[in-house]
Amino acid sequence: MREAYLGIDIGSISTKGVIINQKNQILAKEYLWTEGDPIGAAKRLIASLEKQFDKENYEIVATGTTGSARKLVGSITGATVVKNEITAHAVGTTTFYPEVRTILEIGGQDSKIILVENGIAVDYAMNTLCAAGTGSFLSSQAKRLGVEVEDLGRIALQSEHPTQIAARCTVFAESDLVHKIQMGYTKEDIIAGLCRAVVQNYLNNVGKGKKILQPVVFQGGVSKNQGVVAAFEKELKCKVQVDENGHLMGAIGVAILAAQGKKRKKFDFAVEDTEFRTREVCCGKCPNNCEIVCVYRDGELIDAWGNRCEKGEISK
Amino acid sequence: MGNKKQSASVRRAEKNLTIGLPRAMLYHRYGALWETFFQQLGVNVIVSEPTNRRIMEEGAALAIDETCLSAKIFLGHVQTLIGRCSYILVPRITGFGVRRDMCTRFSSLYDLTCNVFRTSGQKFLTYNIDEKARSDEETAFEKMGEFLGFSQKEVKSAYKEAKKAEADQRKKQIRQQEKQYEKPGMKILVAGHSYVAEDACVGKPVLDFLEKSGAVVIRADLMDRKDALKKSTQMSPTLKWEINRELAGSIQAQKDKVDGIILLSVFPCGPDSMASEMIIRKNRGVPLLNLVLDGQEGMAGIETRLESFLDIIRFKKGEMGRG
Repeated sequence: MREAYLGIDIGSISTKGVIINQKNQILAKEYLWTEGDPIGAAKRLIASLEKQFDKENYEIVATGTTGSARKLVGSITGATVVKNEITAHAVGTTTFYPEVRTILEIGGQDSKIILVENGIAVDYAMNTLCAAGTGSFLSSQAKRLGVEVEDLGRIALQSEHPTQIAARCTVFAESDLVHKIQMGYTKEDIIAGLCRAVVQNYLNNVGKGKKILQPVVFQGGVSKNQGVVAAFEKELKCKVQVDENGHLMGAIGVAILAAQGKKRKKFDFAVEDTEFRTREVCCGKCPNNCEIVCVYRDGELIDAWGNRCEKGEISK
Repeated sequence: MGNKKQSASVRRAEKNLTIGLPRAMLYHRYGALWETFFQQLGVNVIVSEPTNRRIMEEGAALAIDETCLSAKIFLGHVQTLIGRCSYILVPRITGFGVRRDMCTRFSSLYDLTCNVFRTSGQKFLTYNIDEKARSDEETAFEKMGEFLGFSQKEVKSAYKEAKKAEADQRKKQIRQQEKQYEKPGMKILVAGHSYVAEDACVGKPVLDFLEKSGAVVIRADLMDRKDALKKSTQMSPTLKWEINRELAGSIQAQKDKVDGIILLSVFPCGPDSMASEMIIRKNRGVPLLNLVLDGQEGMAGIETRLESFLDIIRFKKGEMGRG
């Protein structure tokens, strides 16, 4: 029996999962929409990974979770490592691209830049109070234009004259976009302009003041959009690499972190058939009135968080 | 200031003259000075309780949207003191001289508070520090004491005691910060206004999280102010705001001794938005996180940023494998 490690990255928009072996080779992978239900998405993900997984020869000895629902899914899967997505992405990418200097990442609701020196992350930035120019912005604009978000990149590449779209703020970009549609610009030019707006927004906000050195690796869901990749290459005047597993880097990174961790716990695929429920309670024991999230497995409380003080601690 | 018709001697004779101190804004800078001054005069002092969710929400409801989170919290604290004291102290401090301005928030806070609570019947007490009007702290305190009906001699001696208490507390805090350096673990310099760093709902959760994650927190605001001001000219000779100047000087003095710096501010702080940008530009090479808090309910986004910031430092120090 050989060791394998599971990594799950549950983002706001999509859920990613991989199982890797000791050589960091991918044994199973899946990518699906979170659809506002992280527990359901994790279950579907695990079911799909199980089908691809060779149980005869491998067993999962450590599990890591990352992404915005890392705590929740970490709790239901009994994860040995729960890590933030920046660290997970840095670890994943530097494993496959040890020479990388800049990692660009645009996800569903956040975007980040990680600067790397000698295979070690040395600086990062993340979008602050504003979610402009992220994947969910592209999704809603695609809907407005009546095209699938997956087709945006292909359509953008057909444009020869991308239109100018305000890049500072999503709200302004959207009104600009509506205006351009009404003025009769072609769909190709508008979509190409949209891709460029995402890039300019990213470089003006997240990338502000950061020295972007080559080699550059671009990942996150938006890296699947060739229009954005082309716009990045044009803006940065250099090659931008996109790994075929770029969207899985967070999951791979956290699987590697789980492998490196000291904790070992066999993963049980039965999770996919177990009933999990969450319940939100207002503590009310002091004026803070903390909202506490309780997680139940088959009716039994397994985890709780959200309390600011010990008054709100819920014992299992 | 309060009711002008009432004579000073009557004010003094008021049974149980009580001064309310909102535990917000400049309380975190002058708390010891205020408390000792009033206690020396034999006046009762009550301080509002540490910020909680309700204070924050009520303050936000009383303030206009555009004001900073700290000013909103301040109004929430005032609200909890209404009707519980004879006067609530809200000083007006415009600055201490050339390039030693205080944020305009502190020039306006007294008038603003009186106006917000104009129908409450509550009386407010102030003292005015304004370099242009040649009113320094001592003069301002004398006037305030006189207004309350105390003799010049009483006020002078109370002020002297209060200054001593302030200096003692300050010395103790500075010594405590210096001791932090002796602790094992990575040192994180947190640079934020005292009223941000110390607030139970704003800065404290951040400091607690850092400590829980194994970092040793050093607060930039707890450095000798004179030394910090002197040091600050090395980073910027023209920085206009007193408190930002102190923080910049403190960073300048300590940046080589720490593993990383966190700039902690609340949204939308005007002076910080300029000073932070300057500090970031002038300190490339030091791991630096610019954290802007806005009183959101969830800590998740903040934890992600703090956790990854600490991870990056650990990567750098080689304490974490690169995978």
